[in-house]
Amino acid sequence: MGDCIAIVAELNQEGVAPCTFELLGLAREIRRFRHLSITVLVAGEAIRGPAREIADTTGERVLAYENPCLTPYHPEITLDVLTDELRKINPEFTLISQTTQGMDLAPRLAVRLGAGCISGVSAVSGQDGDICFSRSAYNGKVVFQVLPLVRTTVLLVQPGAFDPPMRADVTPGRIEIRLSSVEPRRTRHLGMKQVKRDDAGLAEADVVVAAGRGIGEAKTLALIRELAQIFPKSAVAGSRPVCDAGWLPYERQIGFTGTVVSPRLYMACGISGAYHHRVGMQGSRFIVAISTDPMAPIFNIADVCICDDLVGFIPLFIEECRGR
Amino acid sequence: MDRGVRYGKGVGCCEDRGGGTYYKMKLLVCIKQVLDSNIPLHIDEASGRVIPEGPPKYWMNHADEFAVEEAVRIKESLSGTVLDVLTVGPDRTAQVLERAIGMGADTAVHIHAPEEASPTPLTLAAWIGAFARNRGYDLILTGVMAEDDMQGQVGPLLAEYLDMPCATSVIFETVCPPKGVVYVEREIENGRRHMLELDLPAVLTVQTGINHPRYPTLSNLIRARKEKPFRLDSAELGPLEVREKILRAHTPGKSREGRLLQGDRREKAVQLLEILKREGLLQTGE
Repeated sequence: MGDCIAIVAELNQEGVAPCTFELLGLAREIRRFRHLSITVLVAGEAIRGPAREIADTTGERVLAYENPCLTPYHPEITLDVLTDELRKINPEFTLISQTTQGMDLAPRLAVRLGAGCISGVSAVSGQDGDICFSRSAYNGKVVFQVLPLVRTTVLLVQPGAFDPPMRADVTPGRIEIRLSSVEPRRTRHLGMKQVKRDDAGLAEADVVVAAGRGIGEAKTLALIRELAQIFPKSAVAGSRPVCDAGWLPYERQIGFTGTVVSPRLYMACGISGAYHHRVGMQGSRFIVAISTDPMAPIFNIADVCICDDLVGFIPLFIEECRGR
Repeated sequence: MDRGVRYGKGVGCCEDRGGGTYYKMKLLVCIKQVLDSNIPLHIDEASGRVIPEGPPKYWMNHADEFAVEEAVRIKESLSGTVLDVLTVGPDRTAQVLERAIGMGADTAVHIHAPEEASPTPLTLAAWIGAFARNRGYDLILTGVMAEDDMQGQVGPLLAEYLDMPCATSVIFETVCPPKGVVYVEREIENGRRHMLELDLPAVLTVQTGINHPRYPTLSNLIRARKEKPFRLDSAELGPLEVREKILRAHTPGKSREGRLLQGDRREKAVQLLEILKREGLLQTGE
């Protein structure tokens, strides 16, 4: 086939993960620069339903692989199944969502395909007939524009970076279902486990006051809690480093592997705002960020930025609130 | 792994981290020295290089500290285990090897690469793979992601080069040498964990928070300074693999207004209060 874009769909407990349709958004953007066909690959144990959903929604061709071991992801079998097919269709770009599953899969797939691998893709641009991809680095402070130099490249795409195409009446895409009988060799799937997770009322809170590494020490949390008390229906949360340090329990972690919140007000205190944190809070209605670092990426997504030491600033702010 | 030299408690030791079990395991932890990105960075847009403004501060990649700690704990539970740490980079990067030895690793390996080399993840994995191949490692650990490049690729790439099974984002592990397996839990989205058993040898990328990394001890640090790392030249391990190129770099764009409050601290506090009231986010008269 050649000359195509392959989209690797992701399945979760509910069915097709929403990030799958964002990949289609990127694929359509790539097509502004180069005429390539689109094929969606999906693998799982009961594949007809998800395959139908993708074909009906996108109108694109769907290749579906059914294997009883795929419930829905198996590090070895998913890799084997996709490698076989991608070698056949030989795409110029393979699009995978940068989820824990995608990050597990993409680099190994790239080695097998002799492909390049670019992580954290958040934008695409044309450059003298070439196509460049933007990815962030240094905790989100820097964006690199990267040019693929080889025939085929695997792209790990940031969830939330591309909009899924508008739903329109499309002619459903063609579905080809293939049965796969590959069996695990050296990796055995032992199931999923839900870690006890009370989100500490974060999802219901109107106001979330969050602490990051910039609070410096655990005792500064008292100040964060005092700030939260100014607001009715508020909750205290933290970034991953704060939870890793044991200063706050993981139930209160906002971000990629933590809780996703969208309160009316989010106050980020001493948080740099790397991608992993942003995905957990960028839907908040109003964002206030306090950081001593003028280049902190959190300032790029905030409505109000306060470049100051939070230990000095917050007590004054609390005083002002109480004074009137 | 030498299955013949087992003494002590024996089979079923998988859950036992209390010591007393003799197993000759060989561990490798791959670590990276990164630039402290909290200091101001100068971005040279045309060349795509990121240069610290003022004296640069480097440290061991945060996630790699958790990988070293996890390996030291395995070593402590299975006496007879040897633990190597490895890094790639110019002379300055030897500092993280010293720290890892300080934490309890046995031997340091420094794959020397010139400052200007900027190897891609693929190159790094190929070099580490060329070193590790045929050296009999049972388990290779690395941090889940580097703070500077943020790609999280080297671990799985290395697994593929060495043809080993791999688990990323590992938040819990137990090695069971008698069965030749490692049990892992991968941290995935929505508070869930993916449970897997991998045959050894295997590669794991370790998620932050899996343990509490210890501080180096003075006696270990003294030993680290005495014993120089085993040093190899990257050029002997393979060419630079270049499959993509950084054309330029820039600071990210703003997605919201990002109004920067001006004035002294008190003035900023007053402004913030007014803004929150105006937005209806704070009741008045409280």
